[in-house]
Amino acid sequence: MATDIQISIVGSAGDGTIAAGEILRGALAGMGYKVISFDVYPPEIRGFGKCIARMRITTEQAYSLKHKSDVLVSLDDSHAIPHADEVRECGAVIYERGSIVQLPEGGHMSAHIGPGQLPYPVPIRELSEKSTGANRSRNIVVLGFLAGLLKLPAEAFQKAIAKKFKRKAAAAEAGEAAFRAGQDFAAQTFKLDDVLFGPPVSTVVAGATVEMISGNAAIVRGALDAGIDTFFGYPITPATSIMERLATEMPKRGGRLLQTEDEIAAISAVVGAGFAGARAATSTSGPGLSLMAEMLGMGVIGEVPSVVFVSQRGGPSTGMPTKTEQSDLHMAVYGGHGDAPRIVIAPTNVDGCYRCGGKAFEMAEAYQTPVIVLIDLYLSNRYETVVFPSRPPFEADTNRKPGKLAAGAQYKRFALTADHISPRAIPGEKGNMHVVTGLEHNELGRPNDSAEMHEAMSRKRHEKLKAALRHPDFTHFKRFGDEGPVDVGVISWGSTFGECLEAMIKARGEGIRCAAMKVVMLSPFPTHGVTAFMTDCKQVLVPELNYQGQFANLLQANVARPVTRLNRVSGEPMKVEDILDEIRRLAGRKAAQKAA
Amino acid sequence: MATAKNVRHHVVIGSGVAGSQAAETLRECEPDARVTILTLSSLLFYNRYDLPKVFRGHRDWREFLAYPAEYYRERRIGMRRCSRVAGVDAKRRAILLDHKEEIRFDTLLVASGGRGYVPEELSEFRPLMHPFSSYTEAMVAANEVPDRGHVIMLGGDMIGLDLARTLLDTRHRVTLVAGPQTFWPHEVGADERPGLVAALEKMGIEVVEGADAGGIASIEKGARGLSSRRVLFKDGTELYGDVVMPFFGLVPSVEFMLGSGVDIERGLLVNPALRTTNEGIYAAGDVCQIWSDAERRYRFYYGWKNVRAMGDLAARNIAGGADPWVPAQDETLHVTADGNIQSPFWEYE
Ligand SMILES: Cc1cc2nc3c(=O)[nH]c(=O)nc-3n(C[C@H](O)[C@H](O)[C@H](O)COP(=O)(O)OP(=O)(O)OC[C@H]3O[C@@H](n4cnc5c(N)ncnc54)[C@H](O)[C@@H]3O)c2cc1C
Repeated sequence: MATDIQISIVGSAGDGTIAAGEILRGALAGMGYKVISFDVYPPEIRGFGKCIARMRITTEQAYSLKHKSDVLVSLDDSHAIPHADEVRECGAVIYERGSIVQLPEGGHMSAHIGPGQLPYPVPIRELSEKSTGANRSRNIVVLGFLAGLLKLPAEAFQKAIAKKFKRKAAAAEAGEAAFRAGQDFAAQTFKLDDVLFGPPVSTVVAGATVEMISGNAAIVRGALDAGIDTFFGYPITPATSIMERLATEMPKRGGRLLQTEDEIAAISAVVGAGFAGARAATSTSGPGLSLMAEMLGMGVIGEVPSVVFVSQRGGPSTGMPTKTEQSDLHMAVYGGHGDAPRIVIAPTNVDGCYRCGGKAFEMAEAYQTPVIVLIDLYLSNRYETVVFPSRPPFEADTNRKPGKLAAGAQYKRFALTADHISPRAIPGEKGNMHVVTGLEHNELGRPNDSAEMHEAMSRKRHEKLKAALRHPDFTHFKRFGDEGPVDVGVISWGSTFGECLEAMIKARGEGIRCAAMKVVMLSPFPTHGVTAFMTDCKQVLVPELNYQGQFANLLQANVARPVTRLNRVSGEPMKVEDILDEIRRLAGRKAAQKAA
Repeated sequence: MATAKNVRHHVVIGSGVAGSQAAETLRECEPDARVTILTLSSLLFYNRYDLPKVFRGHRDWREFLAYPAEYYRERRIGMRRCSRVAGVDAKRRAILLDHKEEIRFDTLLVASGGRGYVPEELSEFRPLMHPFSSYTEAMVAANEVPDRGHVIMLGGDMIGLDLARTLLDTRHRVTLVAGPQTFWPHEVGADERPGLVAALEKMGIEVVEGADAGGIASIEKGARGLSSRRVLFKDGTELYGDVVMPFFGLVPSVEFMLGSGVDIERGLLVNPALRTTNEGIYAAGDVCQIWSDAERRYRFYYGWKNVRAMGDLAARNIAGGADPWVPAQDETLHVTADGNIQSPFWEYE
């Protein structure tokens, strides 16, 4: 039996909601299931905001979270109640049976459980207090209850609990006791919902390792596997955990990390380190990227390899720090003054974060330019099971080195070559002395603002990037679904592509000829591949999480064809159902057909 | 839970036959009113006379539901499951749920039915018995009884005897430890009893007469062979079975109404219009005792058809009617010419 179950745990900051999610997905991934998960944190301090740990557990590969959950666990009814209608028919709602305070009408979860859903009141607080002497382990009690109800092996959870509290013996002990209390209570509860786990399917490939990892953690892993030397950064949600993880990992590998005073300092240091020959990076979000715009231009004109990981959130300005959005694409591709082309790549899933996280360094070095890896909060915080190859799939050195200089010749850092890429010397190399400034320059790097030179250098800076469209072992774009002509083609980018893929698969299941294309390389734009795809499509749908249709704008600037835009700015991931409805509409499906 | 101030809120306690019928009638009579059912049950309404089907292999709860979820959505009947009423404040028109939520009502219909009665002297053995009054209990019992297993039935009310028919039909063995509650709710005269017991034996039930609940010394767990229960009688005799099921009739579920201000004897006392002693609070079903002008006493009317008719009548009266109660089924127990038992209690749609 194939497993496809989505569990949402909703609580208040301080309830241990996210920790419960972490343990649950760790246990399930450890059992061999594929897991995609996405946590939502509040922007506020402890004790106020809503936390959601949401995960989809499957045996077949899934690409996004589902619109409806199979199980909702409430650790705090005031936050969970608005999510009650997200539970499917015959799905389970698990909630605190009693309250210690007087509630107004409707203040209890039982008031909001629909007639098709199955209620499971559990004395969560009481079980926690009885088993541990405190109510702090309520989150673990519900995990025990879940494990008991859904007949999941306790060992996998015990391992995950032990791992979570490995440095806190008392918490680990309390966790064990609370888990057992929840599990014992479930043993006395008659199971009514139809949420069933089938056996996991083994995905172990010889030599590979399977890990449950978040998008940000995958970026870090990619950067480390590609041999990052230095990192400079300033914390900002949702990118902070990239820096935090690197701060732990880099010193172990001889790398260096510095928290700078702001984003301008961070990008300046990255460009400096890149100039000095290091594989250097920073991470930020939209507001930080704005601050970095000027210095990115310096990286472009100086042709300095530098990597910027950008995790988008709701904007503009401080906007919605804990909500997801894909609205920094214009900024990433076009942001800044002057003609400042750069490479922008946008992975569509966690595995892609790993690959882009490493490939960014290869590309920055090979094409001597800033590279922006554009993700968003949804992808940063999303966990997926990823299969890591036995050897990192990244080249350690893609720099085009200068040959031996002819006697009396001068090293030209910006030599005009056939493919527009100049041999790059690292400062300090004997005989290859050169100058890099923010001024327009000649081949030697000396200031020169003649019309000819600016034209030649502008061409060089743009044309050299075309080679990135053939960068080896990299998926620039990819088509899925029906081959040949189709009624509807869905093109998307970044985190939204998972939802597009799910919608496309469902549409095909309804008999609609449909295909989907993900575009990972956003700049330079893979015009040929995308044009070929669009030629096959009667209708093209472009779903994305921004108001303007930033990717659609980019697409239409490169391929002159009409598209249908589907834009959402709810701060939440796109809904598969919304995309599917639009596919149906474009395919000319009537409501009756849809229902049938 | 925002509702317009002038919309009446009708609350029904209980999602059995009476409560469910009442909610449907209330919705028909008052399309704009708010109708909410509060119930202990975790499932939507099902007919409990269907429960013996678990022994015929029907195990999925969905097969038992009288109506799909859509029925409640379409009729805008609020369904609050797993919600135990802890108390009612008639003056303030407020209900307090066990989990400390307060619900205000304009009118209240109490249809909380009854729960299985177990004689005091046997109550210490409750954990060793398998009641059969809800889907969950039915499933637990069914999972416990092996193929061709042996069920020891204590008491033997009409609910139990109905189950016995199915058990025998599905090749189980049934021993009835008969007593004063055998044939409840029918009142059986001493002269009728031997004929009725003979009819039970003809059905295939092994009847242990005279060894009523008062004669049971203990019930024990773990016994010889496959059997997992031993019933030890005071006279030293013993019985072995897979499960022991109590069927001693029902006691009305009224504890949450104590202190509410309405009159209670064993059940909630209602006038022929099914109104309690408090205006705005009605009762229907197994929980209420209705004033009978003819008999000059408050009395219970059992049986599925009666209970449903009570739910319907109470709702119509809540909506402004003033019709009196007329029983919907007769109450006599017969033995047919060919020796079979015939009870109006066993007639349902
Ligand atoms: C196994 C079985 C077989 C039966 N077979 C037959 C038969 O063949 N023929 C026949 O005529 N009758 C039969 N009956 C009896 C019949 O089911 C009852 O007469 C009928 O169910 C009574 O209906 P009611 O609505 O009054 O109460 P019930 O059906 O008992 O419903 C009471 C409701 O009140 C709720 N409730 C109770 N206390 C509270 C509280 N404190 N807070 C919130 N909710 C509460 C319960 O959850 C339940 O939903 C059978 C009963 C059983 C158990």
